[in-house]
Amino acid sequence: MNSLSLLRPAGLRLLALLTLPAVGGLAATPAAADFYICAALNKGYVTGSKITTISGLFKRGADGAWQHIGYNDMSITAAAFDPRDHNVIYTAALNGCWRSLDGGLTWRQTNDWTITEGRDVAVDPNAPDQVYLALPDGIAVSHDRAQTWTRRENGLPDRGKYTQTIKVDRSQAGHVLAGCETGIYLTEDGAAFWRHVLPTTDAVNDIEQSYHDPKIWIAVTQSAGAWRSNDGGATWTKLAGVPSDHTLYNVTFDPHHPQRIALGGWDAGVLTSEDGGKTWINRTAGLPTPHHVWRVGIDPDNGLLYASVVKQTLFTSSDFGRTWQRGPFENSTINDFISLPRAEK
Amino acid sequence: MKINISALLALLTASLLPATAQIPATGPMPVRLVVTDANVRREDYNRRVDEVVNWYAAQAKPGENLGVGQMLAKLVRHEDQAQVSTSVIALMKDPGTGPFWMFPVVGLSLLGQDQLSAAAKQAIRDMWRTTYQVRGDTENHWLMYYTSLYLISEQNPNEPGNTWYTGKSSAENLAEARSYLISWMDLTTTVGQGEFSPTGYIAEYSIPLMYLATWAKDPAMRQRGHMMLDWLYAELAQNTLNGVLHGPNSRTDERDVIERGNTAASYYCWLLFGNTVPPKDYAGFGIYFAVAAKNYHVPEVIYRIAVDRDRDYTQHDLKRTRRRWRYSDQLSPPVYRTDYTRKDYAVGSIQGGLIDPIQTHVWDVTWDVPDPRGVHNTMFSLQPYSADRSMQMYFSTYPEPMIPNLAVEGKPSYDLATKVIGSSPYERVFQDHDTIIALYDIAPGTRFPQVNGFFSKDLQHVTEDPSGWIFAQGGKTYLAYRPLAGYHWIKYLSRDGGWAKEVRDLGDKLLVSPQLKNGTILQAADESEFQSFDAFKAAINALPLEFKLEPTPTVTMTTLRGKKVTFTYGEAPVVNGVPVDYSKWKLFESPYLNAEKGSRKLTITHGRLERVLDFNTDSITDRVLP
Amino acid sequence: MKPFPYFLLGVALAAPAAVQAQPSFAAPPPPATVVQDAGLRREQYFSRIDEAINWRNSQVKRDNLATMDMTAIACKLVRHEDIEACSARVIELMKDPGTGPFWMFPVVCVAYTGRGLLSPEAQAAIRHAWRTTMQIRGDTENHWAMYYTSLYLMAELYPDEPAETWYTGKSSAENLAESRAYLISWMDLTTTVGQGEFNPTGYITEYAIPMVFLASWAKDPAMRQRGHMTLDWLFADLAENTLHGVLRGPNARTTDIPVMERWNDHASFYSWLLFGNTPPTAGYGGFGLYFAVAAKNYDVPEVIYRIAMDRDADYVQRDLKRSRRRWRFSDVLSSPVYKTSYMRRDYAVGSYQGGAADPIQTHVWDVTWAVPDPRGVHNDMFSNHPYSSPDQLQAWFPTYPELMIPNLPAEGKPSYDEPDKILGASPYEQVFQDLDTVVALYNIPPGIRYPQINGFFSKDLADFSVDKSGWIFARGGRAYLAYRPLAPYTLTPYRGYLQLPSNEGYKWERVATGDTLLQSPHLKNGTIVQAASQDEFKDFAAFKAAINALPLTFSLEPTPTVKLKTLRGRDVVVTYGQPPVVNGQPLDYTKWKLFEGPYLNAEKGSRKLTITHGRLERVLDFNTLSITDSILP
Repeated sequence: MNSLSLLRPAGLRLLALLTLPAVGGLAATPAAADFYICAALNKGYVTGSKITTISGLFKRGADGAWQHIGYNDMSITAAAFDPRDHNVIYTAALNGCWRSLDGGLTWRQTNDWTITEGRDVAVDPNAPDQVYLALPDGIAVSHDRAQTWTRRENGLPDRGKYTQTIKVDRSQAGHVLAGCETGIYLTEDGAAFWRHVLPTTDAVNDIEQSYHDPKIWIAVTQSAGAWRSNDGGATWTKLAGVPSDHTLYNVTFDPHHPQRIALGGWDAGVLTSEDGGKTWINRTAGLPTPHHVWRVGIDPDNGLLYASVVKQTLFTSSDFGRTWQRGPFENSTINDFISLPRAEK
Repeated sequence: MKINISALLALLTASLLPATAQIPATGPMPVRLVVTDANVRREDYNRRVDEVVNWYAAQAKPGENLGVGQMLAKLVRHEDQAQVSTSVIALMKDPGTGPFWMFPVVGLSLLGQDQLSAAAKQAIRDMWRTTYQVRGDTENHWLMYYTSLYLISEQNPNEPGNTWYTGKSSAENLAEARSYLISWMDLTTTVGQGEFSPTGYIAEYSIPLMYLATWAKDPAMRQRGHMMLDWLYAELAQNTLNGVLHGPNSRTDERDVIERGNTAASYYCWLLFGNTVPPKDYAGFGIYFAVAAKNYHVPEVIYRIAVDRDRDYTQHDLKRTRRRWRYSDQLSPPVYRTDYTRKDYAVGSIQGGLIDPIQTHVWDVTWDVPDPRGVHNTMFSLQPYSADRSMQMYFSTYPEPMIPNLAVEGKPSYDLATKVIGSSPYERVFQDHDTIIALYDIAPGTRFPQVNGFFSKDLQHVTEDPSGWIFAQGGKTYLAYRPLAGYHWIKYLSRDGGWAKEVRDLGDKLLVSPQLKNGTILQAADESEFQSFDAFKAAINALPLEFKLEPTPTVTMTTLRGKKVTFTYGEAPVVNGVPVDYSKWKLFESPYLNAEKGSRKLTITHGRLERVLDFNTDSITDRVLP
Repeated sequence: MKPFPYFLLGVALAAPAAVQAQPSFAAPPPPATVVQDAGLRREQYFSRIDEAINWRNSQVKRDNLATMDMTAIACKLVRHEDIEACSARVIELMKDPGTGPFWMFPVVCVAYTGRGLLSPEAQAAIRHAWRTTMQIRGDTENHWAMYYTSLYLMAELYPDEPAETWYTGKSSAENLAESRAYLISWMDLTTTVGQGEFNPTGYITEYAIPMVFLASWAKDPAMRQRGHMTLDWLFADLAENTLHGVLRGPNARTTDIPVMERWNDHASFYSWLLFGNTPPTAGYGGFGLYFAVAAKNYDVPEVIYRIAMDRDADYVQRDLKRSRRRWRFSDVLSSPVYKTSYMRRDYAVGSYQGGAADPIQTHVWDVTWAVPDPRGVHNDMFSNHPYSSPDQLQAWFPTYPELMIPNLPAEGKPSYDEPDKILGASPYEQVFQDLDTVVALYNIPPGIRYPQINGFFSKDLADFSVDKSGWIFARGGRAYLAYRPLAPYTLTPYRGYLQLPSNEGYKWERVATGDTLLQSPHLKNGTIVQAASQDEFKDFAAFKAAINALPLTFSLEPTPTVKLKTLRGRDVVVTYGQPPVVNGQPLDYTKWKLFEGPYLNAEKGSRKLTITHGRLERVLDFNTLSITDSILP
């Protein structure tokens, strides 16, 4: 992996992109959520060469256009927001964790050299000064909006604590799930202690909480398929019908339809369930081959299903995967979809 | 002392040519700034070295034989090798003798080893076989002699005794030379240099040590040469005021002692530190150093001691006198040196007594001037001692012929009552910061029973106060000079350097006090310390001061710095009730240079930079302090 | 012979043909004479520096400012030439800044060489870029050395400035403190357990450049001293590992070209510049020009120069290094690397114990022979297991298994997933070396991608013959070589990687190099190599006879094991997975020191390196930040 290069100085930038078709009448109703993506656009970039693309954090505007926010950062892996004020932004990236307090106009690299290659970042909605950072060598926690970081790895193994994803339970402060190299770890005390709740042989790539029942979580893995928890992550059951023969990169719930869930993965393509995960259908048809689906996401406002296909574009489906339309972001990998209840700021 | 004067003069003439376009000697003073970039410092230094070499090379006349300095310059530039070879052959037809002849020839041999013709090299080699070389009798003579013999023996190894003027084989010459050089370094690094802080003879140390550091095949001798250069220049750096060597000198001459910024030492300050201008003709011997100078770069820590000072400091050093053959119960008594250096002036002294029989300068105040050329920026007193017995003490000679001969050996003032150089067995000096008390108790019958005080033409506001103090200002320095006995004024007549026959009135005055029991008190201060010159005078007049001359001169006073001092001729000075104990004196002690007596180890410090020269392990350690 | 071509790093040339117009690159190889006179050594060093800078400046076309990139600007500034053009070009380039260490250090170089020269507008443009442009830190040891040295120097150049004036959102003081802390921690690690990216053929420049910048421009004398000491450390390691200027033996990181043409990478630029004992690589190593800009602030110490140039005896050097850090699938973050070198006048043998030191670019062992002119000569012999694995990449990179391997060719690593590659380490290779004998054993589990061993046989070998005994004999220069495959094999032409012009990542074409590849498709496998100098034998036949007479027994099942009396008379037993046994004594790697040999010695954990040649000794002590030069009795 090489260091990256930048096209232009950072700043707010508007991309003239397709305005996306709406589903039903949802787009006509006032948007209830903010919707962001972390996009990396690479057109043959290697170390020392020129980046000819804009990458980083994008916000979906009311008109469906994507607005670039902040630095052009091809290394961005995830983003999180302060629920009280969406101008407070945290991004996980190669340098560690960046923070903006002004909606992306200015940024601070919150960490020093002892933290690198942030994989995921999460804010506790019930204690918004608490920020959790997933790292290749463990987990760091901040109690002051990422001004300072402390390693919190009690209960994680000395080796095998590579952490790919971290998520905070919106229903309980300090209740956090971490997807690591060796499985899923749960803390119920703000990372003072981690409990190993699901062992795996390879990394857990994503863990998501249902919008409709905070006790329900689904996790996807590199080599062990998908798993479901009905008790807030304490215990896990393998999802039948989801194959384990391909890496699954992420999972997403539909904010409007409790029974709708989507998974994405390399060669696994797009898998959807419309019965709360009981049965799964491969909805890859219509996406370009090879079916290297990087991430899936669901628009909180209009229910569009998104699929990021490696080195292709962001594809959209207005019928939950039955048909697909080619969208923007040529040569992209979308690393994260973030939908948030709209904040006052 | 029988140095081959004709050879020396020949070399001087050969190397000193009409000074055409010698810019630095006539140009403006360099800007006083610290060059912080190491590479820029090196480039500046190399440029100055090139300037000297190029200037000498430019003096060559087509078709004429070259002077030795020109030959060396041409060899450094790798040009006109045929002309150089021809000139070498011509020079070797009438060889000189002694150290001053030997070291330039060594320079020719080593610089020319890949450039001179076989015939030229053979001519040099033959000279070393056929021409008897006198070794000389001073510390600098022996250093030049043995370094030359060492290097030339190393260059011509494994040759039998009959191929050397010494009658000894290459190996024997090498062993003898090495043994002396190491013993001299041992002596210098344990009890101090004999010819310390020389204004002119610094060249006679710098050149052989540079040759040793450059050309010795034995890495230990190369390293020792390098370390001794550091040692020499660390001392030069801490004893200079913006490139002007100040304070006492074991050996100097009539001009250097009054025009402090116009000496060979200034050439080395210019070359190494770039903080002053070189004397005319790069001090004559400058070329001999320059031809090898690029093999040495003054360490940053030494450079900064010379150019980057942020406080006043006192330095106590230990030195030694020239060796005494007779009439003394010690071969080489210790010399205790004190320097107090401030931004605008410096005060320096040794404890008095005989150091070198002829050329010592014992104490002075030297003030800073924007341009030292032609300025007599110093004040001091001395007893003009002249005695054939002191000649015998230091030289294996008969009493009668020596003094008359001195005039033609470069010491024209030795037997003059009005001289301003020379130490006396009847002088005792004490210094605390910028206060000097010099007491004299001259034995009856001593030739020239008087004390001379030097008053520069460049002093301002010279005032003889009713209190007995003489006040004056030199640069930004307020000066108060208190003669302890009656005096009168005469013109000081200058003899321009050691070899001058010309006597000139440059406007300086001599205070002559013809009393056997005598003394001088001198107090200096910076003009910024007082509202006005009058305020300074008032402060001096207000100082508690008692003195008497009979039966023994003694002074009790409170200095401007508030120290209560009692100093009696022949007794240890007492400061705030505590006698000064010279036996505790270290080899070096100051913020910059520190060494224990007998240690062979000098620690050079500036800020967080430290360099340790350790002759016990032949090691140089550069460290950055926390 | 022409060197294998590849494109210059970071140099925008007026025309590709200009690469040929480089005096020392095109000239005959320099004589191997030791320059005794320190002044002459320095003069020659300076003239080489000037040659590189002159060449770069000669490439600049005033009517084509595109030829004036940051290297050219730095080279012009150091000469105080074309200052107005430099200022204009800096302003132009700063309108479209890059990101990451490879953008940062050239800008730092220009910022410092341009002090007092560049126009206020140009200096302001540089300063502005450091406020507005996010800089990626990268993820390798060399990236961080460049990144933090650059940030350190810029923060020192612009002290006391508030957080909002830096892309990091941190004040000058915060940036300085963070950079200093990292640099010191990295030096601590390197001087206690060894460098991670050890002996890199190319990446040496990414260490040399930041360190010479630190040694030249850091205001803090301690950091200047650290920069200077680390340069000494780096170049002492280079000196002891080069054969007449050519870096040989194992490399933590190298590429497909220098692993076969050992001279052809940046390490040779540094040998040329510092020691003058080999030609420089094309374009003076590209980035090497940045080193040249500051190089006059550094003189290689005589003791290091002599280690490179002036050897009077064969020697064995054992060094301790460390692997790149592993994020996962490993019990240790960074495992120790035990390196052995045996250096002789005509050839050198080098190895480490096997296993992966870096996931992609490691070279584990070889015999390299001396040649009068190394340009275009493939002067080494070795074998390897062409290991390719998504798990391996995941161990070292925070990545998913699928995407990385397909991307590697475009990122400059074309051979990673090729079965005939000659680059890369394998977890299934174990190597033992005793003097000029190497025993490499392989025990590849079933199901591993590319279950084969590759052996490299250079086009420049002479008298190549396959003996009925099973030994393969050949001559390389004045070295006699015997290679013994322990399992059946085939010989096929080797195809190298020719880089093609591309604006979208690296592009490659496989081309025949004239070399031969031995491929042995067996899981249990091994290679024995024995080298000797032709001076030791009456003729080549006598060497062959001596090798054939060596007592040798081996078995591959159940575990590869070799019992051999070496040409040097040592009884050696090597079994895969067990410590090698020499003359009945098992080898104990736990006793390995950081450096141990006639030239370099350091205790593990000591932060102190003693460099010795004859009576010359230099001690670099990072505990006291001191350099001590001594002459031994």
